[in-house]
Amino acid sequence: MTRLFIFLSRLRGLFLKPKLEEELAAEIQSHLEMQIDDLVRQGMSPEEARYAALRKFGGMDQVKETYRDRRTLPWIETFFRDLRYGLRMLRRSPGMTAVAILSLALGIGANTALFSVVDAVLLKSLPVRNPEQLVIFEWKSGRPFRLSGMSGTSNVATDPGGRGLSLFRYDVFQQMQKTQAGSTESPLSDLFAFAPIKEITARVGDQPEVINGQGVSGNYYQGLGVNPILGRAITLDDDQRNAAPVAMLSYQFWEERFAGNPSILGQQLNLDQQSFTIIGVTPPAFNGTLQVGYYPDVTIPLGAEPQLRGELSNLGKAPDAGVWWLNVMGRLKPGATQEQAREALSTAFQTSALAAMPPPRKANQPAQIEPKDYPRLMVEPGGRGMLDKRKWFAPTIYGLFVVVALVLLIACVNLANLLLARAALRGPEIKIRLAVGAGRWRLIRQLLTESLLLATLGGIVGVLFAFWFKGALSAFSNNDNGLLPDGVELSMNWRVLGFTLAVSLLTGVLFGLAPALRAANLDLNSTLKQSGRTTGSMSRLSKGLLVVQVAVSALLLVGAGLFVRTLYNLQRVNLGFNQENLLVFAVQPEVNGYKDEKLLRFYQQLFDRLDHLPGVRSATFGKVPLIANDNWFFSFLLPGEVEGTAPDRDTMRQVVRENYFATMEIPLVRGRGFGPQDDSHAAPVAIVSQSFQQQFFPNEEILGKHVIFNYKKHDVEIVGVVADTKYQSQRKEIEPLLYTPWRQEAAEIGLMHFTVRTVNDPAALTAQVREVVRDLDNNLPVTEIGTQSARSEKTLAQERLYARLFSFFGALALILAGIGLFGVLAYSVSQRTKEIGVRMAFGAQAWNVISMVIWQGMRLVLVGLAISALAGYALVRLLNSKYFGPDTWQQRMKQQLYGVTISDPLTLIVIASLLALVALIACWLPARRAAMVDPLVALRYE
Amino acid sequence: MVRDSKHEVLPGTLNLLILKTLATLGPLHGYGIARRIEQVSGDLLELNQGTIYPALLKLEQMRWIKTKWGTSENNRSAKYYSITPAGKKQLAKEEEEWERTSAIVTRFLNTAEK
Repeated sequence: MTRLFIFLSRLRGLFLKPKLEEELAAEIQSHLEMQIDDLVRQGMSPEEARYAALRKFGGMDQVKETYRDRRTLPWIETFFRDLRYGLRMLRRSPGMTAVAILSLALGIGANTALFSVVDAVLLKSLPVRNPEQLVIFEWKSGRPFRLSGMSGTSNVATDPGGRGLSLFRYDVFQQMQKTQAGSTESPLSDLFAFAPIKEITARVGDQPEVINGQGVSGNYYQGLGVNPILGRAITLDDDQRNAAPVAMLSYQFWEERFAGNPSILGQQLNLDQQSFTIIGVTPPAFNGTLQVGYYPDVTIPLGAEPQLRGELSNLGKAPDAGVWWLNVMGRLKPGATQEQAREALSTAFQTSALAAMPPPRKANQPAQIEPKDYPRLMVEPGGRGMLDKRKWFAPTIYGLFVVVALVLLIACVNLANLLLARAALRGPEIKIRLAVGAGRWRLIRQLLTESLLLATLGGIVGVLFAFWFKGALSAFSNNDNGLLPDGVELSMNWRVLGFTLAVSLLTGVLFGLAPALRAANLDLNSTLKQSGRTTGSMSRLSKGLLVVQVAVSALLLVGAGLFVRTLYNLQRVNLGFNQENLLVFAVQPEVNGYKDEKLLRFYQQLFDRLDHLPGVRSATFGKVPLIANDNWFFSFLLPGEVEGTAPDRDTMRQVVRENYFATMEIPLVRGRGFGPQDDSHAAPVAIVSQSFQQQFFPNEEILGKHVIFNYKKHDVEIVGVVADTKYQSQRKEIEPLLYTPWRQEAAEIGLMHFTVRTVNDPAALTAQVREVVRDLDNNLPVTEIGTQSARSEKTLAQERLYARLFSFFGALALILAGIGLFGVLAYSVSQRTKEIGVRMAFGAQAWNVISMVIWQGMRLVLVGLAISALAGYALVRLLNSKYFGPDTWQQRMKQQLYGVTISDPLTLIVIASLLALVALIACWLPARRAAMVDPLVALRYE
Repeated sequence: MVRDSKHEVLPGTLNLLILKTLATLGPLHGYGIARRIEQVSGDLLELNQGTIYPALLKLEQMRWIKTKWGTSENNRSAKYYSITPAGKKQLAKEEEEWERTSAIVTRFLNTAEK
């Protein structure tokens, strides 16, 4: 307690220094005067009295010093003094200071920006009550366990030969819920389900549009602990099959479409032609619990989903129980564990899941499955929502983090070199201070303060850079490129700023410590005698750091080169069709109730108009959009095969209009194309790609052969062969593809992707195309409208990201290394002025000196390149080793390249040359200065 | 008159002397305390008067004494120090401590003589 008193009073002493100083002076003054009075009274003269009084008092300054030291907190005062001194020193060499701060700022800024990505994507918890109590349910089973169907994304890690999903069927969920609600001792207080309902056609105002939705069980909001900011939340009463359909809006949707108008409560919202009553709005921070990057605009109770989706309902129509599509989450009671939750529901889950198993599809499969393949319930922490997608982003983000950390390392090395150079420069000053009695530790502390100062300044400027970097990164926000999911906001929150501060401080301490220690330990005698001249102009440490910089830059740049070439190669892949001047868009008439004859007639009418639109050369459509990461495949049997005994055989499929091949400019190789005679009354036909023929009918005549699809026992006759095209992406190998005509596939063409070849710029026809569709049906939205080239580019989003990022950071690293090289050499030259003068006096020419300095620098660069070559080789060996399974991120990284190998010689040579060139320039400038040394001046300098 | 060589104030005992002085004489200014110590010790203690001030600061920080500006006999303004209850307790403790220490040493010296 007394220590606290002392501390407080010392603190007071720190702040009230002037006043207290006055008081002390006054007190001492009065003391002396009283003493003088006494002495005078004893008979001394005033002069003698004064003298005696001072003598009796003792050493005035010593007393004052001791007093002051006790009165205040000395370390704070020293710290501020050090700071002021440090600032003065920095101001003295503004060039080097600016370079150091800039280097640090770039490095710290990049790290901060990237950390904000890590934070937003991977670390943020759900903005709900007590997210740590939430758990997510998943399950695993053996392969033989059958599902009645599934819809949605799930990424549960499984052993090979197993199955794992985070999706549940509604009746299975209901069983689990009954078990949980039925027991008062259940470790869960709530169990709720939710799932995305994608692409709902909503009517707001006069334009129909496609929005994202979500279906939730009645206790969803209550279980999460989310309170609406307007109206009320969905409750159990709303989640009954016969309840009036209600909907909640997300905050963003409410703001954007309804202008934040509170009077929308109670109004009707038209979703998929059904009428829903708006009952509430969720708070702004709450974006749902679904995959990151998916933000539902409306939320409806699960019970209303059949009403919404009609025939397409995932809940199925009795007796069909629907598909596995729900995510299930629960809230643990305080004190309960995940394992308890799992145990409590395990049996209910397994029983109902087994009961939900459909009969076997293949003749040779047993109806019952073995207990080892039974589905088993599993539990994961749920505080951050559905983590699956996040896990997918994780490798890219962490990989990038490593890269950025390396760049920061280089920047720090620049800082360290700067400090080393300066520390050596101040050798004599430091020695003198040591000689007059300054503590070694005190000196180190002061030098450290300087480096911390630099690092903090770098950090502050770095935060500014971070904002700028963040903006650039946000431009990469795109679900496809693996870095940033759509719509994730990068914010500068406390966590991020705290991270920046930590990095700055760490940098300052780590990279300031070595120079500080070195400086304070310099041999007293030697340096004083040599009065400032140091032997050997660059310390080994400095050289080592430079070599590291060069090596890291080289690695980054090689990575950049490889990815740039990959991107280049992918952009020039032969797609098999002509993607110039193609306008693409999608419509989904089935949502508006078109089917069978009505649907065919609708498309015909649409084509009639599109065909005659000015600026249109030809219009066609296909079920699967090309180069859009989409696919559609089926298993089938060759003629003569029987299901159950035949090997598993799949082919990609496509449904097209008759003029598809002509419009896309895909050449017909054999047989005939589709024509108007291939309608619903004629025999079903198909056209296949060349690779289909080569794989399945290599040595026989293919025309006239039949294949039978397992699904609905669909039998088609092959009437033609077309050339191969790329289907899913530029990168994926060509797989067998089978086309069928649209008129014979009325059940499969509820959603079609149109392609229009235009005379001029396709984007110019966007408005007219929308109008054409609106004229036919003003309730039908046009989605995904754009050009084919743009869509193909979007598929390359990840490759583009890597190319850009590696190039940027590689260039940054190179610039930093160049600056570092320049700085160190410049300092070295300035130290060797005398030596150079002597050489020149003895007859060395300018070019001798230049080549000497350049060789000094290039020697290091060469060592750095050699090291990077070794490191690269080790990296390649590591990636190639069998240690990593096919699914690991290491393997995925390796597969990122296309058309180049990791050890591509051309890339390596180009990068090495680039590095050498930059290094040469960095060396040449100080070399030139060295050559300009006037021997007379240099020698006179002592 | 030949004086015995003066003894320096043992560090740490200064606190004791100051506290005792204030306890006996009541509130006193810095000069007064210094003079009193010199007097009572019969001028045998060599005291650099100035050293009293850091000691007084320390005692004040420990809350054993408190200060107040006032006027002296000669109408000078001076800073007066007085002992606090906590200080009195500390004084008693240190007195006891000192006596015990000196008793042990005395006993040792006596036995050693034998």
